[in-house]
Amino acid sequence: MSVKVEVIEGGVPHNNILIAGLVGTLVCIYLTYLNVLTGTELFSFFGGLAVVAALVWGSHTIKVLCSYGIGTGVPSAGMIAFGSGVIAMLLATRFGIMAPVVALVLAAVIGFILGYVSNNILNMKIPAMVQALTEMAIVGALTLMGFAALITGGFTFAGLTSGSISVMGMILPSYQASFIGGGLIAVAFLLGAIAIQHPFNATLGPGWKQDRMLMLTAECGFLSMIVAAVMSFALISAVAALISLVVAIFGWIYTYQQYMEMSKRDAAAWLDAKPIPDVEAH
Amino acid sequence: MSAVAAKPAAGGAMNPTAMAVGIVMLIIILGICYVVSPGIGLMALIGVVVGGVLIGFGTHFVPVGGAPAAMGQAPGIATGVAMLAAGAGLAGLFGGAWAAEQGLVVAVVTGGVGGGLMMAITCMMVNFVYVFGMGIPSASGKVAKDPITGDTQAEFKSQGTEGHGLPFISFVGGVIGGTLGGAGGTLIYIQLLSLYEEMLPGMMQITEAQVMPIAVSAAGMFAVGLFLVNAVLTAYNITGTIEGPHDPKFKRWPRAIVASAVASALCGLVAVLIVVPM
Repeated sequence: MSVKVEVIEGGVPHNNILIAGLVGTLVCIYLTYLNVLTGTELFSFFGGLAVVAALVWGSHTIKVLCSYGIGTGVPSAGMIAFGSGVIAMLLATRFGIMAPVVALVLAAVIGFILGYVSNNILNMKIPAMVQALTEMAIVGALTLMGFAALITGGFTFAGLTSGSISVMGMILPSYQASFIGGGLIAVAFLLGAIAIQHPFNATLGPGWKQDRMLMLTAECGFLSMIVAAVMSFALISAVAALISLVVAIFGWIYTYQQYMEMSKRDAAAWLDAKPIPDVEAH
Repeated sequence: MSAVAAKPAAGGAMNPTAMAVGIVMLIIILGICYVVSPGIGLMALIGVVVGGVLIGFGTHFVPVGGAPAAMGQAPGIATGVAMLAAGAGLAGLFGGAWAAEQGLVVAVVTGGVGGGLMMAITCMMVNFVYVFGMGIPSASGKVAKDPITGDTQAEFKSQGTEGHGLPFISFVGGVIGGTLGGAGGTLIYIQLLSLYEEMLPGMMQITEAQVMPIAVSAAGMFAVGLFLVNAVLTAYNITGTIEGPHDPKFKRWPRAIVASAVASALCGLVAVLIVVPM
């Protein structure tokens, strides 16, 4: 049903968010390449920042799409974003340094065709559908690539499929201790899929405010980054993983505080409820 | 366009031009696959397309109620199409993956049984909650008599609702849908797994035993991705709620078949390309 129930009033136009999100994500993913140039793993945390940038863009795309009553619930948009994104991302990792750009192009092609399929074959006839599904496939692919860079320190197929374990002082190659072989990609998949669909689902309604939703997205992104940073202890050096964890925790605390401020600002009234009070002891 | 004047666009109408374009796209994608990887790659892709179509078709059987069902105002299970399809399909996929070593037929049947079982348990518990928790009888609003049992529905239907609970036909539809979805998901997984087991050792210069975790994980992720894409496209086709195979919306399935085939072929081609030597 192509009934637009809400319009974007005020706030930053969608195209600005699109461009900022795209550029920010690509730059942050490429900054993790400093790992290769400097021979360390200290720059992995940029992958997490790429995740946050992509998610902020993606959640606004979901808002644009779901303003039309699509009748399937907001979470389905997050699911198709990552379902099509993971496919593009896995193939793109084969292209070495070009991987993020290939992921972008490939995801755009997949998303465009899926948009055509749902708009024309399935007769959805929603004006924003093709563009939104294209954007969301890109967001899904780049988010997963950001998680991959955060957890493994790189985004190439060889780096994602092979790791090493040390047995009694000897370093042995292992394909189970890797991003794909160890199944960490499944965790990254759902961390991203939940983080992208939750913000609009949680803030939609008559009191929707753009900055509050985007701040919630950043908060969800940093929360996912904390989990991913903990997982990265298995695959990259402890110092690099610690840097990611500290960045994620500080980012989460800041965005959470900001989000609470905005929630109080937009609320009609605010009662600072306390936990269940202690009953007087006798 | 005001909300009142707008007609629901996603009606039952077919769009013949777009359907033809979709079929042409499907043939082109199969052709590309034949050029880059004839034989094993094309076989895997055909398996993926069949699996995707099974998922897309099976999802139409599942009684999806959404938010109205949670309030007892529409029949079906009280959640969205994408969630139910993903739940049934992934339950089947995990069931089928255990039997992957016992051959294609055993694994696909196991996956189907897993998905059907999951939906049967879900439907039963949902009806428990409806009948004993919310105190509402099961009645369909779309048909006068249950097509299987012949029970009349109108006496049990509350005024102002579209029916409620989970009538017998919806239960049967749910089990059929879960079976088809689980079988489809498993078929995709098995096809990709056998392709990766065959091709990855040569590509990565490692032994077959070493490649197993990567092959399993990559095939699993592609299967999950394909499953979600197909489930959401079917959700777009249904737009909201469906009662089961007796619902008028069920007649929209040809659109979903074409859409699922094109989407599965596209994603499956990408999954095949990952092991094609460059």
